[in-house]
Amino acid sequence: MTRALGSRIAHTLGVAAPFAFALAIGAAILLAAGFDPLGVYKLMVQEAFGGDRRIAATLTAATPLLLTGLAAAIAFRAGIFNVGAEGCFYLGGLVAAVVGAAVPAWSSAPAILVALGAAVLAGGLWLLGPGVLRASLGVDEVVTTLMLNFIAIGLTGWLVNGPLLARGSANSATPLIAANAELPRLMPPTTLNLGFVISLALVIAYGACSRFAVSGFRSKLVGMNPRFSRAVGIEPGRIFLAMMIVSGAIGGLAGGIHALGLVHRFVGGFSPGYGFTGIAIALLARNTALGLIVASILFGALSSAGANIQLFSDVPIEIVEILQGAVMIFAVANLGVFWKRRRGAA
Amino acid sequence: MVTFLHAAMMMTTPILLAAIGGLVNRIGGLVNLGLEAMMLAGALVAVIVSAKSGSAAIATFAALAIGAAIGLAMSLVVTRLSANEIIVGLGFSVATAGLVRFILKSAYGASGTYNPPGVMMLPRIVVPGLDQVPVLGAIVSGLDPLTWLAWALVPVSAFVLRQTRWGLRLRATGAAEATVRSVGLSPFSIRDASTVFAGGLAGLAGAYLSIGVVGLFNEGITGGRGFIALAAFYFGRASPFRTALGALLFGAFDAAQIRLQGRGVPAELVQTLPYVIVIVVLTGLGLAERRAERQGMVR
Repeated sequence: MTRALGSRIAHTLGVAAPFAFALAIGAAILLAAGFDPLGVYKLMVQEAFGGDRRIAATLTAATPLLLTGLAAAIAFRAGIFNVGAEGCFYLGGLVAAVVGAAVPAWSSAPAILVALGAAVLAGGLWLLGPGVLRASLGVDEVVTTLMLNFIAIGLTGWLVNGPLLARGSANSATPLIAANAELPRLMPPTTLNLGFVISLALVIAYGACSRFAVSGFRSKLVGMNPRFSRAVGIEPGRIFLAMMIVSGAIGGLAGGIHALGLVHRFVGGFSPGYGFTGIAIALLARNTALGLIVASILFGALSSAGANIQLFSDVPIEIVEILQGAVMIFAVANLGVFWKRRRGAA
Repeated sequence: MVTFLHAAMMMTTPILLAAIGGLVNRIGGLVNLGLEAMMLAGALVAVIVSAKSGSAAIATFAALAIGAAIGLAMSLVVTRLSANEIIVGLGFSVATAGLVRFILKSAYGASGTYNPPGVMMLPRIVVPGLDQVPVLGAIVSGLDPLTWLAWALVPVSAFVLRQTRWGLRLRATGAAEATVRSVGLSPFSIRDASTVFAGGLAGLAGAYLSIGVVGLFNEGITGGRGFIALAAFYFGRASPFRTALGALLFGAFDAAQIRLQGRGVPAELVQTLPYVIVIVVLTGLGLAERRAERQGMVR
């Protein structure tokens, strides 16, 4: 009993430690630049959680991260190192924006369903290639999915600057989507929208599935030990392929929800790296549903607060990027090394 | 055509420098996704030091040092804290890009572009006699020292990897870590050294971009060349010569894309070509390997 409690505490610390390390590094940088780190962090907490509207803004910022985190977690759990959610996000966003602009006469529910369905399809198909290559030829999926990100960004960048450019628009942007394809707002005037609920529900469904469903157990088994899985009659290649496609589909959905819920069109530079932040979130969460929710909200808080602290203080918004990168690094580092050494020295 | 080849040579240099570093790093057992970050830091430091000191040589050395320092930090996290190199590389990319812009804003009040007065550019080398040779002379004349260094590194690294004790140790570190440990060497230290080497070269690549080509720093100056370098050394597998071929090919794409702008050829699509080629190459390798397996002659 106490042992179980101890391991749970250790697990919680394990999630908190990367954040603590990142905040310490951020503090050192702020101090070196002549800012008061405690004051800045206090301001950030206020800006992220002080009041309904700010919480709504934080949850809005967490929405794409819930799904990119989920996309990464689904793949990682099955032992696939998929870093391609960023590209799926771009493609899903573009496809949903184009479909959403093309369905003016329909009522809201089918318009949204078709647009999001198209985004899911685009994301899933985009990772079909790496999935097949990994499952049948053993080609390293890290490289192929990473390369596909750059290809997706280039491809959508070309489309939105040329064939799909909104008429009369000088910037790279598609036309605004039809009003009935917009995801309804939950708390006007804030931008929090139905996308948050959809994303949250999917993460919870993932949590239930990975714990109780046979398919969830299978993919975990394949992730832990592909040779054993094969011995008990589960073909790892098939699971690799399936989970890669599901992961891509979720990444595409994330982009679709971002387009229909917040941006209402597709623009150049659609994602500030949501796909990569999702990787950090999945790692911090150790692929658990609860962890995904907590980590997404923390990262959402970072980015929603970052936008405001630049307005109200001189602190450059890039402090957020530094913190995000540092969390990513410490999330995979074995910080226990420091503890062990100290104990050994004492 | 000749001016295009000259431009292609110029655009190859940063990719080649980073790719040779990344290749050596990968042979030592670490796939370096931080090259882009090290390049960016090198580019900024080169401009700052060049303007302050008035010496391109000191600036180049400073860029080398910052790239190597970031490489060391990244490598230590990977080797000593047993962290996943892919995530750590991505994390360093995100954090360094943020830090560079943070420093620009907080220390120089500049957002995006930093263009201090008095930046000394890299000198151009005109080899007497060589510039008289038709075609070749026009292509290689007036190139800077870093370009010569990059191309010199190709045969040198091939020789060191194949023929020397250090090369053997490095290859063993990547291929058979336990063996290296069993003869009393530290595979971690050897791997760290290879990452420091890669970081230094990526820093030089950054210096080349900022004080070799444009004479200022812009936050988008690296333009994904760190990842194109990754594409080049995946294209080249374990061979410096093939890697150089990849870098030259991708450098030519880069030069072509600049020249074709405004002529109806979409630059965005040309920029994706290196990545498409890498996927094609990896697929081809996978197919060839499977065919070999089927014929019962695995390796």
